[in-house]
Amino acid sequence: MESSSKNSDWAFTRKINGAGFPCFDNKLISEGIGLRMRNPDQSSSLFWLVIGIGIALCSLKYGFGNLHEPGPGFITFFAGAILIILSLTLFFFSFRDQKTRISLQSLWAGLETGKVLYVIFLLVAYTFLLKPVGFLIGTFFLLSLLFRVKGSYRLKTIFLMSFLVTAGSYIIFEIWLKAQLPKGVLGF
Amino acid sequence: MDILHHIFFGLGIALQPMNLLFCFIGVLIGTLVGVLPGLGPVAAISLLLPATFHVSPVASIIMLSGIYYGAMYGGSTTSILVNIPGEAASVVTCFDGYQMARKGRAGPALGIAAFGSFIAGTLGVVGLAFMAPPLAAMALKFGPPEYFSLMVLGLTVLTFLAGGSMLKSLMMACFGVVVGNVGLDLITARPRFTFGWDILLDGVGLVPVVMGLFGISEVLLNVEEKLSKREIFKTEFKGLLPNLQDWKESIWPILRGSGLGFFLGILPGGGAVISSFVSYGVEKKLSKHPEEFGKGAIAGVAGPESANNSATAGAFIPLLTLGLPSNAVMAILLGALMIYNMPPGPRLIASNPNLFWGVISSMYIGNVMLLVLNLPLIGIWVKILKVPYPVLFPLILLFCLIGAYSLNNNPMEIGLMLIFGVLGYLMKKFKYDGAPLVLAMVLGPLMDNSLRQSLLMSGGSGMIFFTRPICLVILGAVTLILLLPVLPLISRIRKTVEKTEGN
Repeated sequence: MESSSKNSDWAFTRKINGAGFPCFDNKLISEGIGLRMRNPDQSSSLFWLVIGIGIALCSLKYGFGNLHEPGPGFITFFAGAILIILSLTLFFFSFRDQKTRISLQSLWAGLETGKVLYVIFLLVAYTFLLKPVGFLIGTFFLLSLLFRVKGSYRLKTIFLMSFLVTAGSYIIFEIWLKAQLPKGVLGF
Repeated sequence: MDILHHIFFGLGIALQPMNLLFCFIGVLIGTLVGVLPGLGPVAAISLLLPATFHVSPVASIIMLSGIYYGAMYGGSTTSILVNIPGEAASVVTCFDGYQMARKGRAGPALGIAAFGSFIAGTLGVVGLAFMAPPLAAMALKFGPPEYFSLMVLGLTVLTFLAGGSMLKSLMMACFGVVVGNVGLDLITARPRFTFGWDILLDGVGLVPVVMGLFGISEVLLNVEEKLSKREIFKTEFKGLLPNLQDWKESIWPILRGSGLGFFLGILPGGGAVISSFVSYGVEKKLSKHPEEFGKGAIAGVAGPESANNSATAGAFIPLLTLGLPSNAVMAILLGALMIYNMPPGPRLIASNPNLFWGVISSMYIGNVMLLVLNLPLIGIWVKILKVPYPVLFPLILLFCLIGAYSLNNNPMEIGLMLIFGVLGYLMKKFKYDGAPLVLAMVLGPLMDNSLRQSLLMSGGSGMIFFTRPICLVILGAVTLILLLPVLPLISRIRKTVEKTEGN
């Protein structure tokens, strides 16, 4: 029997040599694997497990029907059920590859994650403000802020670039392609 | 010769000034997208899809197809000059193309990539013209059970061939089926998974999903990276035409790559990417000097570049004849055809010959345009490569925002796109492939429909899938594909058990 490292964070041992069958080690389970779980595959599989359960339950609510008369939730129930099985499989398999395991935190190590959150925040704010503020003003300010995210341009350059891009996109989409962009409370 | 008659008919349509203009715009944007790292053909096509609603369906599909095969041309430029593939299918070109550039042979590398792409693209189009009509005629005999089995096969092959874990790809396919079935049920008119959002009653739109998964997510991934300066060779591109020796070494790889790419392109799942890798492997194996591969062998550029181009033509076959997309780009084109009320499938050739033959012929014209665009204008593409990313990414985001909003003039579409953007970002972080999700999303409602029709036909017996010969063969293939990754595991378990019993 081959056992994984004693210091394993994963609370797992491989009980069949080479066969790759993951089996829980009761002692380590008692220490609480959920609290120290950092493997990306384990976290993501649990996420999809919850999604799968949600899909299956909702599908039953919509009506599974029967084989003679399948209901609206028929195919989605199966999709949800398969998702549950697959995410459980991934969860168990994620304990197998001890050599290649990486921590969840390492996915964002050395990266400018704050900038990603800032860009998402700007885009969400733009979504909510687009109708009341209008395309021209909203886009001008959005671009002014976005150009500063990765670049170190002078304020004058940023405003000039934002103005040109906003005007250019307005001409292409509103005037040429008649996209009916929102005018906002100020009417432009 | 019926085919020749059809091709001339198609040329008549493709040569109409408006279609010619949109073909040019398509290949121009495609080359641009291919040149610029961080923006692939999937994102570009989804960005421009709403803009095409104002033009004729034929012109629109001609343009969108042009972006697809144009990107394959453009992708080689960045691979050769900067060692950064413009899109996934040009990864292999980096191996030898960049090495050729380092040795001062950037010109012949770019030249053979363009010529190889042209020859392969042309052969691919000819193959498409010859193969599609008989296949469509055969597909007319298919009923709902055969279609359901084919869709299951398509999704299975895609998850098998897609990059990364097959398990994760299957999970994405399951989720995609559910996303595709959001909205009113066609039979009972009951809302599914709408959670009180009116915007979801009509279903989740393909455009916000694709723009989110492939456009927004890519930008977010690039934003978090620390910027590095791209090194571009300051070579004078005087000798773009490959010499006789270059041609001698390249002609067979080009022809082999064309054939390989075309047939691999038909298979669901990243045909262009896989075919370029397979072609590289084949050329290395067949070469008298395999040790030169990776050090600037021209065959290592010619083969894969030809393969990825002919694969784009091959990818159109399942879409236009069976109505089944083989990759994410084809899924968007399927969505576009649905929007134009021209559902692709075996009847498309008969019901919309101008679209079918017009698009095929335009691809040939587009290949000529690409040759003209890529060789003499290489200097311009190199200059475009110098556009700094801090300027480029806000423009990509803006196009995504306008594209999503203009679908229904509703900011909620932007919200939906952002949700899928964040999901796509996390999926890439956690190594989940987006292509099976998109494909399953498109196929989801069709699968639901054909499964329910099949069960109604059989009076509720699932045996209908096992008593019809075509279904049986297809589902047998599905089982085999699903078992393939498990077989080594089974063999290992058996050996372990034997060992244990022996002890």
